[in-house]
Amino acid sequence: MSEIKVDSIGPRVDSGTLTIGASGDTITIPSGATFTQSGTMNASAITAGTMATARLGSGTASSSTFLRGDQTYAAAGEINQPIWFGRKGDAADQVLTRATKTKITSMTSDEIDTNGAYSSSRFTVPSGHAGKYFIHGSLVADFTGVGSNGEETYSYIYKNGVETLISGFTFDPGGKFHTIAQNVSGIIDLAVGDYVELYGKLTDDDGGQNAQVSGGKGTNFGGFKISS
Amino acid sequence: MASLSTKVKLYCEANSKVADFNPGGNVSLQDDSDGNGPYIKEWNVTGLAQPTDADLTTYDAAATTEETNNTVKNTRKTAYGDIGDQLDEIFKDIDAWKTRIQGIKDANPKS
Repeated sequence: MSEIKVDSIGPRVDSGTLTIGASGDTITIPSGATFTQSGTMNASAITAGTMATARLGSGTASSSTFLRGDQTYAAAGEINQPIWFGRKGDAADQVLTRATKTKITSMTSDEIDTNGAYSSSRFTVPSGHAGKYFIHGSLVADFTGVGSNGEETYSYIYKNGVETLISGFTFDPGGKFHTIAQNVSGIIDLAVGDYVELYGKLTDDDGGQNAQVSGGKGTNFGGFKISS
Repeated sequence: MASLSTKVKLYCEANSKVADFNPGGNVSLQDDSDGNGPYIKEWNVTGLAQPTDADLTTYDAAATTEETNNTVKNTRKTAYGDIGDQLDEIFKDIDAWKTRIQGIKDANPKS
């Protein structure tokens, strides 16, 4: 192996072309040596190999980050967990005292509980999962067993025992219906340890009997985390 | 036993007040499904103190009567039938209509 040591090499004529090696040759920058460049090197000339992600931007490149247009790595989108869901079993009817906001229970069928934080009627925010949650609830108000004279139906989302979201309607006295699905949903900011529950209120027109929330697919409670 | 809402309603009426259980109303009843039954969660009836359990117990009989009569009233209304059909019935034979209505009242007496 021969070696030449000079301070500069260049083409034979000004503004000429200097060619190093030929097709099939390998040009090596030895370990410990540094290749620097002040003029233009065309990116299109890189036609093989994989560019290290750390060379593409500042910050930490990983499976949970993405490269932004300003060449910085940022956290990827939310995983949207915890997720919970449960519905009443087909035979799990629940009689509600007339005109009384009542906690809906026994929603354990088709249950989804990604973080072990849901227990038949209540979701409690587990450690490390504070944030904004989308929460929904639905109940089937059934007045057929009490004269089919429903006057009022409401559903509520309670946070820490306090009414927080509400949806429903009231007929004028004398108006009546026998069955309706009443939904409630919204976004609530929850801290670790906060809990949410579904409540319902049913009122019959004649004031004499207690209607029921029907078991089955129409009575359910669920939600998921949207963001921190 | 009569429902809490009926007893609260009668308690308010006896004191010249109106209980409003609607959203934004002056009374809110709640049941946390913990076995303790319904209770008064919020009381905002101006000029009237929240009733004690003893106060409400005194309205139990009257509330039961009201609920029973309301149920009878609803049963009668259903049996009377559509008002349009009744008008037709009256036009054709008012005496027969009166007999039928009286029969429904007799079969469903109020307390």
